[in-house]
Amino acid sequence: MDKQVELLQGTLEILILKAVSLGPLHGYGILQRIHQISGERLQIPQGSFYIALYRIEHKGWLKGEWGESDNNRRAKFYRLTPAGTRQLRSETEKWSQMTDVVDGILRTTPEQI
Amino acid sequence: MTFFANLASWWNALIHRKRVDSDVEAELQFHIDAHTQALIESGISPGEAERQSKVEFGRVGVQKELYRSAIGLRPLEEIGGDLRYGVRSFFRKPGFALIAILSLGLGIGATTAIFSLIYATLLHPFPYAGADRIVNPALTDQAHPQVPTWFALTPSQFESFSKAKSIDSVIGFLPNGLTATGSDLPEDVQAAYVTSNVSSFLGVSAKLGRGIEPFDVAEGRPPSNIVVLDYKYWQHKYNSDAKIVGQVLQLNHVNYTIVGVMPRQFAFTQTVRNVDVYIPWTAARCPNIFPWIKLKPGVSISAANAEFQSFLNEFKRETPKHFPEAFQVTVQPIIEPYVHRTGHTLALLFASVILLLLIGCANCSILLLARGESRQQELAIRSAIGASRFRIVRQLLIEALAMSCAGALIGAVFSYWLAKLPLQLMPDAFPQEAAITINLPILAFSISLALITGVLSGLFPAMRLSRPNLSQVIQSTSHTIGVNTSRRVLNILISSQIALTFVLLGAAGAAIAGFLKITSTQLGYDPHNVMVVGIPLKRDTSKNRDARSAYIDQVEKTVAGVPSVLAVAVSNRGIPPSPPFGGIGTQGQFEILGVHTQQEKLAVISLVSPEYFSTLDIPLLKGRLWDQSENRRGDFVAVVNHTLAARYWPKGDAIGHQIRVDSLKDDGAPLSVASAQSAQQRQIIGVVADSRNDGIEHPVAPAIYVPYTTFMWDYTQLFIRTSHEPLSSLRAIRSALRSDNAEQRVIVASANLEEALQLQPVWAQQRLFSILFSCFALLALVLSLVGLGSTLSFAIAQRRSEFGIRMALGAQRAHIVWIVSKTSLATVGGGIVAGLLLNFFTEKALQHWTPDSISGSWVLSCVTLLLLICAATTSLMLAVRAAQVNPSQTLRCE
Repeated sequence: MDKQVELLQGTLEILILKAVSLGPLHGYGILQRIHQISGERLQIPQGSFYIALYRIEHKGWLKGEWGESDNNRRAKFYRLTPAGTRQLRSETEKWSQMTDVVDGILRTTPEQI
Repeated sequence: MTFFANLASWWNALIHRKRVDSDVEAELQFHIDAHTQALIESGISPGEAERQSKVEFGRVGVQKELYRSAIGLRPLEEIGGDLRYGVRSFFRKPGFALIAILSLGLGIGATTAIFSLIYATLLHPFPYAGADRIVNPALTDQAHPQVPTWFALTPSQFESFSKAKSIDSVIGFLPNGLTATGSDLPEDVQAAYVTSNVSSFLGVSAKLGRGIEPFDVAEGRPPSNIVVLDYKYWQHKYNSDAKIVGQVLQLNHVNYTIVGVMPRQFAFTQTVRNVDVYIPWTAARCPNIFPWIKLKPGVSISAANAEFQSFLNEFKRETPKHFPEAFQVTVQPIIEPYVHRTGHTLALLFASVILLLLIGCANCSILLLARGESRQQELAIRSAIGASRFRIVRQLLIEALAMSCAGALIGAVFSYWLAKLPLQLMPDAFPQEAAITINLPILAFSISLALITGVLSGLFPAMRLSRPNLSQVIQSTSHTIGVNTSRRVLNILISSQIALTFVLLGAAGAAIAGFLKITSTQLGYDPHNVMVVGIPLKRDTSKNRDARSAYIDQVEKTVAGVPSVLAVAVSNRGIPPSPPFGGIGTQGQFEILGVHTQQEKLAVISLVSPEYFSTLDIPLLKGRLWDQSENRRGDFVAVVNHTLAARYWPKGDAIGHQIRVDSLKDDGAPLSVASAQSAQQRQIIGVVADSRNDGIEHPVAPAIYVPYTTFMWDYTQLFIRTSHEPLSSLRAIRSALRSDNAEQRVIVASANLEEALQLQPVWAQQRLFSILFSCFALLALVLSLVGLGSTLSFAIAQRRSEFGIRMALGAQRAHIVWIVSKTSLATVGGGIVAGLLLNFFTEKALQHWTPDSISGSWVLSCVTLLLLICAATTSLMLAVRAAQVNPSQTLRCE
């Protein structure tokens, strides 16, 4: 059985940026895509999701535009701005460095010291 | 980048609030619908699916709030709410708000006014390019180190001087008196010869036509005869004629074409002399010029002084007569003379308006506290239902800030008017270029003032009121009986207000006393209907002394023959009671035959005709005056004043002694002539009474009078006493002189000695002090009384039921009046004592700043009495009203 994973503090923003970088999406779509990519293991609280989304838009990393959804309804689609692309790149770099370091530490055995 | 994105989204959220809200709502609704759809597809019934997705998501309306707080707008909106609430509560009690706003407004207005005055006159008065780098060519003569003098250069010296390393650029100028010819009476015109780079040096363009330009004196052809008018001259001579350019002005029989008019703010020669017209300078027109220097950026004054010193030492070898024996170059920034003249005045005024501002702040605090007491209940409920202390403090602070900003608005209008007052009352003390305008630094000053006063007056009440004792406030009814703790705080505020007011009143009293003292000074001479006119003599280098003295004698006789003239005298000295300035007439050294002391003996040396004493009504105390033949000879005689005689011959035997004045010796200058033995021993033949000769504020200096023929320049002065207003005789005097010599100019040096008195800097300064200090003190008094009144009426309102009970139990009205006014009198008394102490400490500072402000004990007792009477009247009025309430009515209100 798949275990549900708790979201680490501060990672929601980078996940949203990543999801949108794969193609413009509306809010619900972003949520669905993260859920789907994570193999349905990541559950995102809906309240905090929109706060994070608005904050990112406020910072100018995403740009929302109104358009038509699949079932012909008006929906707001988000796409990455150039600043957002840069932000995603630098955040991804930071994240992989961080995980490398933490991973290295966690794998340390007594003999290696 | 991010910053601009932030701004854009805030702008959106604030301005297109409705649209943003509906967008957020639509987006969330879409989310819920999509989720419902997904749930239905997974096999849940539509009704259940909708319910479930709504439960998961929460209310849409809440999300809107979340949106606004996500982009950081929440505090802004809360502050907006606080502001709206505050403004609404002002309108509930408009009287209270109005008084508070006015108190702050007056304080802020007065402070802004004095600041803009300081800004306009001392910090930024000159409209010239690089004005902070322009310096006066001053040097300190070691023989007279008190007053710096300016140095002039010959054309070749000017040329080499302008190549000095510290100099960015330099203009040369020299004021000179000319005569406007071509009309029926020759008129005196003050001209300034200015080098042709003046326009680029000062960066000021002409108001009409053009200024002086380099092509006016191009090499290889004669200089063009053009003239540029000064604004004031254009105004009063040509009635601001807009078509003046192109007309001709005849000066000394030469026609000059008027090519332009300078703007009002162009008066750079003012430090030397005000001029009427500007003429391009050439070596032929005028041999020497003052250099006016713009230093290179970053060059310090001392570095410039050091460099110029070597230049000037060199120049002194070429032209020794142009420089003093021993001197130091001390160039000064152009603002320096004005700082010297008005710095103290402005500092004192600024201090006094700060006091006024503090009183205004205290008033606002008092009102806020008093009102806050009646809001205790509201604040307690707010904190009981969960408002944090921070929010309550913020609410109260924002209200105070709103009031101070409203006050600042009123203050700005008031300050614009007030700032112009000193310029009108004391016009000669400030640079003519100075203009009071509302500009960025002043706006910034008054806005920051508003913020500071808002916090200053609001913070203390806010801190105090934000800690309500919940249980006590909520349990008690609105009527409490007994002493409230915050009344003590109010009393302290009132006391400090009274103390500050006391200091201001004391200062005003001292200023008025000082002014009264000056106006009642015994001058020692009679200035009534006495006019002083300057008589420029024809430039005559032949040094024919007899011809010159005969001509002056002739001029004196001619004027004496005019019907309305009662008496005429010649004097080469300045106008009494001014302190002497420059040349002979300053206090000079003298020696007494047979008396040797270490100490320098100084006296004011006056060159006069024997009629001087009768014309000015200065009585002869002992001995005699010189007669006409002695006057023609000039040598061997002198008359001294009482101060000199009493200082060196206290037994009263001055007459017959010999004195010698070294500075009267022939200096060899091209235009001066001296008698044969001018610097030899002179016998004291008479002693005259004292008259003011060193400024009205200073004691009479020792004076020596000698016949004017002993030393003459190309200029002399006549003192003329007339039977009527002196100016009305001027035309008759002019035409009489003209029939002798068609080209004789007459310069009115002082139209009336009585008015000359009022132009004395110290007179103008003391008048300004008395008027402004009285205004400020009066305002302070009114503010304090308002503060006292509002605290008192607040206290009375709180104790209404107590008074009702007392009266029901049989207390007399008089007793109620007594218990009400008792506390307020104690507060006022405390304030006065504190004020006395403050005054004691500030008095020393005041004495240091102003020469003659005596804050004697009678001034202080007057002030104390005034304060006591005003405070007592205020509290009695309120107390009597409190005692008039009907006890049955008050008690029924419970």
